[in-house]
Amino acid sequence: MPLSDEALVATGIAKTYGATCALRDARLVLRQGRVHALLGENGAGKSTLVKILVGAVTPDAGHVELAGVPTTFGSVTQALRSGIVPIHQHLSLFPELSVHENLSAFALAGSGGFLARKRLVDPPRARAWLDEVGLNVDLTTPLAALSLGERQLVEVARALSLDCRVLVLDEPTATLNASEADRLFTVVRRLCATGTAALFISHRFDEIEALADDVTVLRDGRTVIDAAPIGRHSREELTHAMLGAGVEAPPERRCVRTDPVLVGRGFAARRDARSDISVTVHAGEVVGLAGLIGSGALALAAWLAGAQSGAGGLSVAGQAFASGDRKRAAALGIAYVPADRHVEGLFAPLSARRNVSVSALGTLARLGWLRRSEEAERIDPLIRRLKLHPSQPDAEAATFSGGNQQKLLIGRGLALPGLKAMVLLEPTRGVDLAARGIIHDAIREAAAAGVAVLVATSDLDELMVLAHRYLVMRDHLLAAELPGDAPRAALLSALSGSLAA
Amino acid sequence: MMTKRLFDLPSSLRLSRPPTVAVVCLGLFLMCCLLVPRFASFGNLENVLRVAAILCIVACGQAIVIILGGIEFSFGASAALASVVTVMVLPATGPVAGLAVGGATVIGIGMVNGWLVGRMGLPPVIVTLGTLMMASGIAAWLVGGLPLDAPPSAAFSWPARGRVLGIPVPILAALLACGVLHVLLAYGRIGRLWYHVGANPLAARLAGIDVARVTLLGYAAAGAFCAVGAIILTSRVASGQPALAPNLPFETIAACAIGGLPLSGGRGHVLQVVSGVLTVAMLNNAVVLLNLPVAWQLVLLGLAVLVAVGLQKDWTVLKRLARRAAR
Amino acid sequence: MRHLTEGGARFLVAPASILAAVVLFGLATPGFLTFDNALSIAGQIWILALLAVGQMFAITVRGFDISVGAVAALSGTVGAMAANAFGLPALLLAVPVGLACGTVNGWLVGHARFQPIIATLGTLLAVKGLALLVTGDGQAVPIEAAETAGLAFDAVLGLPLLGWVALACIGGAHVVLRHLALGRRLLMLGSNPEALALLGGASWRIEMSAYQLCGAFAGLAGALMAARAGAGLPTEGAGMELQSIAAAVIGGTALAGARANAWAVLAGAAFVQVVLTGLNLSGVSPFFAQIAVGAVIIASGLMDTGLRFLLSRFSRTCQPKGTFR
Repeated sequence: MPLSDEALVATGIAKTYGATCALRDARLVLRQGRVHALLGENGAGKSTLVKILVGAVTPDAGHVELAGVPTTFGSVTQALRSGIVPIHQHLSLFPELSVHENLSAFALAGSGGFLARKRLVDPPRARAWLDEVGLNVDLTTPLAALSLGERQLVEVARALSLDCRVLVLDEPTATLNASEADRLFTVVRRLCATGTAALFISHRFDEIEALADDVTVLRDGRTVIDAAPIGRHSREELTHAMLGAGVEAPPERRCVRTDPVLVGRGFAARRDARSDISVTVHAGEVVGLAGLIGSGALALAAWLAGAQSGAGGLSVAGQAFASGDRKRAAALGIAYVPADRHVEGLFAPLSARRNVSVSALGTLARLGWLRRSEEAERIDPLIRRLKLHPSQPDAEAATFSGGNQQKLLIGRGLALPGLKAMVLLEPTRGVDLAARGIIHDAIREAAAAGVAVLVATSDLDELMVLAHRYLVMRDHLLAAELPGDAPRAALLSALSGSLAA
Repeated sequence: MMTKRLFDLPSSLRLSRPPTVAVVCLGLFLMCCLLVPRFASFGNLENVLRVAAILCIVACGQAIVIILGGIEFSFGASAALASVVTVMVLPATGPVAGLAVGGATVIGIGMVNGWLVGRMGLPPVIVTLGTLMMASGIAAWLVGGLPLDAPPSAAFSWPARGRVLGIPVPILAALLACGVLHVLLAYGRIGRLWYHVGANPLAARLAGIDVARVTLLGYAAAGAFCAVGAIILTSRVASGQPALAPNLPFETIAACAIGGLPLSGGRGHVLQVVSGVLTVAMLNNAVVLLNLPVAWQLVLLGLAVLVAVGLQKDWTVLKRLARRAAR
Repeated sequence: MRHLTEGGARFLVAPASILAAVVLFGLATPGFLTFDNALSIAGQIWILALLAVGQMFAITVRGFDISVGAVAALSGTVGAMAANAFGLPALLLAVPVGLACGTVNGWLVGHARFQPIIATLGTLLAVKGLALLVTGDGQAVPIEAAETAGLAFDAVLGLPLLGWVALACIGGAHVVLRHLALGRRLLMLGSNPEALALLGGASWRIEMSAYQLCGAFAGLAGALMAARAGAGLPTEGAGMELQSIAAAVIGGTALAGARANAWAVLAGAAFVQVVLTGLNLSGVSPFFAQIAVGAVIIASGLMDTGLRFLLSRFSRTCQPKGTFR
């Protein structure tokens, strides 16, 4: 193998945060002109490795070589100057500024310079970058006027402004719809054709197979598959490498349909849409609401739980409630697990127990006074059942890992007095596989106990092991309803719209 | 590194994290006893506590608002308005009802603040600065900018000068206020909800909490604490003063910040408030006893806030210094 | 201002409010709509306008500076003392004093990561105390130079000389915000601080420079205050921090950061002054003006919230900004 085609080599990388060891002995080799996928369950050290590559974190041990030259990055700026360009999951753009200013952000952000005008890139060059990513907008448009997908393309266009040697794409497709993702992939391929190396991080096997040439798998901070060509390992083998154990076969999904519990009629997922969506979830049933990001699936689910207002009528077990009235919905027994754990769910400074018991305060209090012994008696068994780790109900929620924080939100739902229905949005997004199994078990148990469950997610694997029935959203419309034994291919085609054509 | 030492310090004294403010407060107390003449006399300590009492009561209210993730600037002005209103209605109502009307005014202002913050979603800084201006404007308007003396009466001066079992009423009221705040925060359902709303208002709404109502009740309860403080203040000055306590909000925020309540909300304990208040009171007292100009009180208070908050943020600086000194 | 829906609308609120207030007071008070009165208002707004423009920089980077009133008092007093010692031009020593206070604020907020309110509350208290200490016991420091009054009151081309100075400085603020790289960095920091750090911007220096600008403008306002009163007033300036926040917000500065316009903030300050003067001429109690300012502050908050709500309805996508602060 010629040495020259190695764009970036990182060997023996280790990083410890306090008591937790994020990376032990990681190795990553990126080659020029190739897209390299990085796989690993949450907690395997992926994000730490990415942070080290882009200069945001300094490793405790290990070497990084950029095109054969040993390098250490003291800061993101240094890494950028060396041609390592990160495209972040959470957009690093400035909505209040114009597209032109956003494209010039690297030059503007750096110190020095007096007149802002002198630091803006030449309009023809900027327009050429926009053309290259296939975006046709005026340079003076404020960024806030673009859609999320368009903004991401602006971000890629901005990467073109640098002498980009390594493009780091950290879950870039999380907020994109299918056509926007396609556009992004086309641009990445075109860049790689000119010799750029790309590191692509995603949880979706479909995308990885579509885009990547090589794959590296991390487990427990170590590289377990090192730069294998993408065809060499099957999905099962890759999953096995990530987990270190066999994936359990999906459990038997049986459901006895009984009374309708959660009923929503006449929802319009978009203000101007003529859509008129009706959903019924029966007791003991897990309904899987599938939809890519931007399809309106999450909005529909949030509406059903009373977390978002909108047209249409809602009722649970025969009792009507107004849309957007989350308080009444909770009082009627609808639990809700929001999609964004940190922003919408977690009370970070409060203890784990208090995070769970908040939904049950009504029954834990007499005349406005809480009985804390009863709180512990009722909540702690639930926390134990969810295998919270470390098992410290009095520890602050902020100190737990993502998976355990998500368990707290699930526990909060299960602790709701008079629980009749649960609406879960992306219940295992960014959650490690052990926690994922526990959360899935808890959802199944709840359904078995007669709770009507609706799971809205863009994660097909999750739906395949949970749902008794699928609803598929596409373009703000209910595109299909499929039985629980429908094959993956049927779901995929309903999601992507190839059936409807 | 992890070897167990023979004399293991109690965790609050170990240098691995900032010592609790209670420890700092105690240290300051001992330092004052040693360095400041006449500090450790019984009469002076009672005086410190008497000054601290009003601050403590109002700081309890401020703590609620800070736990809610807000901040309350209108306390001083609403206390001034309360004193003016009290003295104006005094001839008609008598001292007890008059003080009650004054207190109710403060609670009313608190509710307006809570409504604007909780229901209308305005930033607490803007809202409480606005009501500060309005309340002090109304107070000055009602009496034409000049203090209005109250007719002397025993019942009227009891809140500030009375004693029960030999203990001054303000100190008793402060103890009571701390007790009430602790019970509310630790055992009250509403107290728990304040923590939830302060920690993450959006998550609180999605968990089925009526955030607007909880916020309104929080600001109203804060107003109630301030009302008690305003009644004692009014009784002490025995007049309606349109510029009664302009620094009260600053001092209470400073006390809470020194005590270690983060302004981001969702955290706080009554002991932190008490130790913050005592620190402020001792600093003020030491300035007076050392015959320094009174302006030093402001300077020291400002520095104390910055140092206390800074140390809570980054303790490692002192740790490093201590390690170097130990060598 | 090419895209009215996003940026422009909020900057038009202040001029529109001035117009409404002028019409209202013009109808209610006969003496209001006179040239002399217009000149009197124009002669009075500068202190508030400078403080508000300084405040605008702090709000642009998602902060507050509640110490501006105290900083103005301290720097005005020090300026007056310097003017007595070294001659009238030394009055401008107030600006470096304000800059120093701003640097402390900026270091605390930017580098030590203090919350802006706590940091500026700490400096507010300390600076207030310092102002009293430098004068001994809070006595005013009269400026001995006779030509001071001329600076503040004699009109040159319709405006007092100091008015022209202030106008030039506000113009300077506009240039900083619109045309200098620093201004663009301030907007970037207010818009998305995490992104700025990722792109290699020195966030804390930028944040510090916002508070430095704020402090320098407060210092200049202090110099104007001293020149107007003919004396350094160590106890003056209480309440000015509130009015400056109100004027900045009415002037369209978004509390969520990254939207600001110096001329609109000047209009916001002018609006506050128009209301104060109008009420004064209407013969209501002078204390009533204070109540009105309080109402204006709350109205400015309502305006900010309302505008954000309206704009988010009209823009195509609404991305939640930042986390809860």
